[in-house]
Amino acid sequence: MRTAFNRFRLKMTPQRVLSVLFLVVLGYLVIVPLFLMLRETFIVHPLERFQIPGAKIGDWTWAHWQRNFLSDNAYAFFYKPLLNTLKIALGLSLLALVIGGALAWLVVRTDLPMKGFIANAAIIPYIMPSWTLALAWITLFKNQRIGGDQGIFTALTGIATPDWFAYGLFPIIITLSLHYFPFGFMLIGGALRNIDAQLEESAELLGASRPTILRRVVIPLVLPAIFSTFLLTFSRGLGTFGTPAFLGGPVREFVLSTSLYANLIGQRPGIGYLAAVVMILLGVLVLYMDHKIIGTRRSFVTISGKGARAGLVALGRWRWPLAVLVLGFIVAVIVVPLCALVIDTVMLRPGIYAWENFTLHYWIGDASLTVGLGTGEPGILRNSQLMSALRNTMVLAVVVALITGILGILVGYAIVRMRGSWVSQALDQMSFMPYLMPSIALGAIFLAMFAVPRGPIPSLHGTFWLLVIVCTVSYLPYAVKAGVSAIRQIGPELEEAAVMVGASWWTRMRRILIPVQKSTYFSGMLLPFISVTRELSLLILLVTPATQVATTITLRYTDRGWYPYTNGMVLLLVVIVVGSTILSRRLMGTSIAKGLGG
Amino acid sequence: MDFMRMLRGVAALAVTAGLVTAGGMAVAEDWAQIEADAKTEGALLVYSTTSRTAKAAEAFSADTGIAVEVVRLGEQDLIQRAYQEAAAGVRDVDMIVAEDWVAARELLSNTGYFVNYVPPTARELFPERHQDPLVLGFINRVFGYNTDKHPDADPFVSVWDLTTEDYRGRVMIRDVAITGEHQNAFTEWVRRSDELAADYEARFGKPLEMTEANAGLEFIKRFLQNDAIIMTSDTKISEAIGAPGQDNPPYGMFYVYSKHRDVPLQDLRLKDSRQISPTLGYYYPIVLQLSANAEHPNAAKMFMEYLGTLEGFAPWADSPGVYSPNPNQVPFDGDMPFAWWEERMWGYDLDFAAENRGIVLDTWLKYAQR
Repeated sequence: MRTAFNRFRLKMTPQRVLSVLFLVVLGYLVIVPLFLMLRETFIVHPLERFQIPGAKIGDWTWAHWQRNFLSDNAYAFFYKPLLNTLKIALGLSLLALVIGGALAWLVVRTDLPMKGFIANAAIIPYIMPSWTLALAWITLFKNQRIGGDQGIFTALTGIATPDWFAYGLFPIIITLSLHYFPFGFMLIGGALRNIDAQLEESAELLGASRPTILRRVVIPLVLPAIFSTFLLTFSRGLGTFGTPAFLGGPVREFVLSTSLYANLIGQRPGIGYLAAVVMILLGVLVLYMDHKIIGTRRSFVTISGKGARAGLVALGRWRWPLAVLVLGFIVAVIVVPLCALVIDTVMLRPGIYAWENFTLHYWIGDASLTVGLGTGEPGILRNSQLMSALRNTMVLAVVVALITGILGILVGYAIVRMRGSWVSQALDQMSFMPYLMPSIALGAIFLAMFAVPRGPIPSLHGTFWLLVIVCTVSYLPYAVKAGVSAIRQIGPELEEAAVMVGASWWTRMRRILIPVQKSTYFSGMLLPFISVTRELSLLILLVTPATQVATTITLRYTDRGWYPYTNGMVLLLVVIVVGSTILSRRLMGTSIAKGLGG
Repeated sequence: MDFMRMLRGVAALAVTAGLVTAGGMAVAEDWAQIEADAKTEGALLVYSTTSRTAKAAEAFSADTGIAVEVVRLGEQDLIQRAYQEAAAGVRDVDMIVAEDWVAARELLSNTGYFVNYVPPTARELFPERHQDPLVLGFINRVFGYNTDKHPDADPFVSVWDLTTEDYRGRVMIRDVAITGEHQNAFTEWVRRSDELAADYEARFGKPLEMTEANAGLEFIKRFLQNDAIIMTSDTKISEAIGAPGQDNPPYGMFYVYSKHRDVPLQDLRLKDSRQISPTLGYYYPIVLQLSANAEHPNAAKMFMEYLGTLEGFAPWADSPGVYSPNPNQVPFDGDMPFAWWEERMWGYDLDFAAENRGIVLDTWLKYAQR
């Protein structure tokens, strides 16, 4: 009896307790929604019944699957959009890798001037909504096909752009990769920072040329970061909707997410969720590949992580040309779109670029039905509704960042310390799953799950806490990635030593695990923080008048074409997020790069 | 999980309750009592697809002292949210200002979660067919062209013109896949397939040869095969057609007529077709419904009443293309009264639309993807 109890006590290690706890909680928050979504694809919904002979609402059916995969029109309904989706996801992740990787190498490993500025600026594309770049592309490169004013490029050069260049897969890939390359920049930058310089120096002593060193030493060492970037950007490419719809429509190239939206709007959620299920499965496939290919290698980057800081590569006569190139890039994809937004907010009448049209009306003006767009709304900074929505956004972002940060450490701890067991793998993969679920679907499912009390969980409908839970689940993947990589860098021997001298688990956490990697944990909170500030589709079904956030309240202005307000809110968010990133970097020594587990 | 069965049970119950109330209301209604009760109920919550409801609500609150919160949601978000909340028994929302009534009716009305209510002004003045569902206003969508290119005459004769070589790669439409009302509108083209086919014959002097099941679907096929340009925003369409200084401007199909508000402001060379046969476009209602479980039903009724008056409709009356069923509403300067449009434009049949919009969407998706 006593030995049985002891055996039980021995098994009750903190990591086991935590694992079980997280398995239950994540199971409820991740697996249940997945299951509910899957279930919808087998059910006849109200408007679907007319196309399924003899079916009643709520019946079980194979019809959605049959329609999508096997019907005469399956090519148009599913396979062609799937093909386009894969092309976009692949193209975007490769390009984001190249851009992000090159920038990261220049900033981390060379003597390029103005690094601090470049490093700060390079995260801005991810903060701005992705449609800003799509819109910029159309303004620059559109041709006669979609009418309206001439594209700027054509106006300047007289050359008409071909359709494939102006619309469709090509610009979709370009603009999305410009939006997501910060992932590559952060992750690969973090990995490059950790490379032991001795490895490169040894190679150099052995007579290896610089390209050879890059190919045989550096790239293999940053391979895990490369794969992580690929995984994160590829998954985003699978689910993205706005940019493909906007740029693809004119030449009629559609993607899987079009199918999701079209069928949700057509009130055929069975068919719509099927597209979501396929997206999730594709993401899982990439996740699986990621585990297979680099699962074994991941550790070896960090073993050498504490080596000597690498010397910087002298760019020599390339130093300034490269600096100009990088600055040109930053100006083109960050400064110009930002300025376009700023200009929009200070033009009384849109599109008339004259001094007498300049105004601060949309920022600080009184409500007026006659000035400018005649919106009858006070300027942004004096608009109490907008300001309180902005406050809600900030509170939500901070709360979610803190919670995901703490959970990230704990889940990461459980995953790392239980390594090799199925529990660890299950936790690892479950915590990544929300990243793969289209947020439009996730929002609807959470609404249904939390609107009524279920067991010990009270109804959270309309509360701020529901927003917190949804965002926490949705952005947990970032925090867990950070947590795993942080804990992995701490050798278990530190903890074992503490156990020997009788330190409790809580003491070990407090005195060792948290302080040692403090900056990494804080970094793990930054991405959830940024992501919350720009979340719309996840929250739109859940906010109430009292819990409106910046993005949801801005809809009413977009709705009526009052873009000065929409763009002004985007600008405020950019300023706040960049400001807090720089501030936290100063205070905590954080960097987003560490946050992504680089 | 007997969720669906439970749901149906609740729905049936609610339908009965709804019918009883509706019947009761028709018999005798003490409006003074409703007004008195409304003042004691507290703040009203409205979900609305149109952001102008918030403006109307402000004026209403100033008049009556009844606070109104308006949450602005997209058509499908509104339906989804109202449906999920009602199914879960949440009693937040008191009334909705909804579009895409075909979808909303299936999920919100047929389930008994929302009921129709006809306030005094509407009962007295609105045509009876616009009382159930109670219509806040109608929106119309039109065909348009650039007046620099066509200064003298409307270039359109028949909708079938858009499927000819002259219009190849030149006609823009908001993506039918993401526009529920377009899907509804095309079901009417299926329902009135014979008229559509006759129009083809009148235009080209030969019968329409079809590979699709009817002339409506045949149109969708030919229209898309004629390299139609699919856009995501009506604003972009009207600006693209109307921008000055174009050699080869595009044409627009089914963009909202209210965009003509911007014509003087942005110097657009934009005009809508007043002769294209057999329909100038289509119109659809913005619908008001009362939650069957409303916590503030009387305040909601008062707000519904207010929206039916000229004063309540004012936020919508400041542009063309939105029409109150209230016959006393003067059309926007330069616009025609709704009755004029109603004669020349197709609406759609709710039952037929519900049954056929899936087919329309599938035909669209089939040919939209090249």
